[in-house]
Amino acid sequence: MATEPRVRCLDLAVGHEGRAIMSGVSFAVEAGQLAAVVGPSGCGKSTLMRALVGLSEPLSGEAWLLGERLGDLGETRREALLRRAGFLFQGSALWSSLTVRENVELPLREFGGCGARERRLIAEHKLAQVGLLAAADKLPSELSGGMAKRAGLARALALDPEVLFLDEPTAGLDPVTAARLDALILRLRDSLGTAVVLVSHEIRSIRRLADFCVYLDPSTRRMGPVGKVDDLLRPGGHAGARAFFSPGTPA
Amino acid sequence: MSEPAPEPRPAVRVTASAGALELELSGRWRRDQGLPDFPELGAGCRVKVGIGGVAGYDSALPAWLHGLGRELPEGTTLDLSRLPAGLAAGVAAAEEENADDGEADRLPFLEQLGDWASSSNRSWGRAVAHIGDCALGLGRIAVGKGKANWAEFSQLLRTAGPDALPIVLLLGFLTGVIMAYVGLIQLGKVGADVYIANLVALAMAREMGALMTGVIACGRTSTAYASHLGSMNVTQETDALRAIGLRPTEYLAVPRLLAVTATLPLLSVFATAAGILGGMTVAVGSGLSAEQYLNQVVEAVSVRSFLAGLIKAHAFALIAAWAGCYRGAVARPTARGVGEAATTAAVLGITLLVVADAVFAVLFDLFGI
Repeated sequence: MATEPRVRCLDLAVGHEGRAIMSGVSFAVEAGQLAAVVGPSGCGKSTLMRALVGLSEPLSGEAWLLGERLGDLGETRREALLRRAGFLFQGSALWSSLTVRENVELPLREFGGCGARERRLIAEHKLAQVGLLAAADKLPSELSGGMAKRAGLARALALDPEVLFLDEPTAGLDPVTAARLDALILRLRDSLGTAVVLVSHEIRSIRRLADFCVYLDPSTRRMGPVGKVDDLLRPGGHAGARAFFSPGTPA
Repeated sequence: MSEPAPEPRPAVRVTASAGALELELSGRWRRDQGLPDFPELGAGCRVKVGIGGVAGYDSALPAWLHGLGRELPEGTTLDLSRLPAGLAAGVAAAEEENADDGEADRLPFLEQLGDWASSSNRSWGRAVAHIGDCALGLGRIAVGKGKANWAEFSQLLRTAGPDALPIVLLLGFLTGVIMAYVGLIQLGKVGADVYIANLVALAMAREMGALMTGVIACGRTSTAYASHLGSMNVTQETDALRAIGLRPTEYLAVPRLLAVTATLPLLSVFATAAGILGGMTVAVGSGLSAEQYLNQVVEAVSVRSFLAGLIKAHAFALIAAWAGCYRGAVARPTARGVGEAATTAAVLGITLLVVADAVFAVLFDLFGI
């Protein structure tokens, strides 16, 4: 039986103040798949990601999350749906006045339906998964950039999301930390069957992680080719995508 | 219609077999089901974990196993080989990622007390150091060696001065009205209504004009400075200033101190005038002529009294501006820290104003001002 994709968009157009910065975006992500939305800075990757989760309204087209069309949902239903998804923001967006553990515990406290002991155990396990157990009682301001990203990921995982949206998870991290984070994301995808939508322009990470890439072409402001990294690099393929993945070589 | 059967609660059974302990888990392991306590396990043994009886689970199960692993006695190990690969990997990975991390030791009570005492001392020390930095910054700028953010000085002057004028005038006027009414109660009894003017004018010129303006400055300017500078801590803008070789106190606090010191005395003059006008409104309403009232005002307020008020206004300006800059500078770099900085700036500023006013009262009395 064919299963419903966890994330799907059809001819989606996104932008700011009525002006489209990217349009014609259509793709679907199944359970256990990792899709990378790629493209040069400013091409609308993060804006698209926000529209896929319903944090901002698309200008046109359809965005489906976990089998439900976001445009059809009321506020309450949309909020309930969002609890089944995890979101790692580009700047981590940890609540600065809460400790790392409290950041992870907060979604569990509000929506997890569990007691204090269960909350603590789960939060510590999530933090342990990202290697941050020793920093559980630190404030976000005491974390390095990589630690904050990992803490943000632990928080995104708190409610066992069926879909994980990761906005630039490895940007600005050293190669070793980035590789560890990539390995963690892969492990989550493989062990839990989580669908992952990744926005990134870190080519090494994309190569390591992505089942397929969605290239956003800033020159046409439309979606470019969709496929595996190697497919996008084939001679005669899309020039912009080839230039993106092989900077410095003629397209 | 019959109700659905309750989900089987998560349970643990420990059995011993062939030199190893077996931990058999059963039930539905969900985070909203409540998790069982960790079983007592002996030291130095191997514990095989089985989940044959588990009807379903979410992250509560790996979290419980991970918690159990951390509670194990010395030499006891968990054998996860019978678990599904994904679950075992999730538990094992959590252990691997944190293999080097030790538990932070909790400080003994006396050490905590010592920490608290030294942090209180540090707090005073920081305040004194900040005053020193401000003084040094003023000195450096006066001799042309310092750097301050003059680009925002005109805006600082505007927000500390003209923007505060309406509220200063309103509160000054009402203070005059209140004092006149209070004066009338007593002076009216002895037929000395005309001295309402003396009472209001002297009080406004020497005391209330400066004090009211200072309190307003603490409420609006100090809090604004504290939250602005505190937010700069959050976004690491203060660090960025340091990184390019600027002194944040000199660069940020000195222009604010100067802006408030330049504007607050003027505002206090306006507050004094508004208070005298407020008193006049009451006096005229009670049968005194405006001319009589103003004559009494001129007679009551000497140049010395007026200068005493101005001296206070300068001091109050420095206090209000410093309280905001100091609390902002030492604000914790969190959203809550910024809120606390704003609150404590107002409290600190107003407290210091009243203390300073009392000191001025004693000093003016000593020197016959």
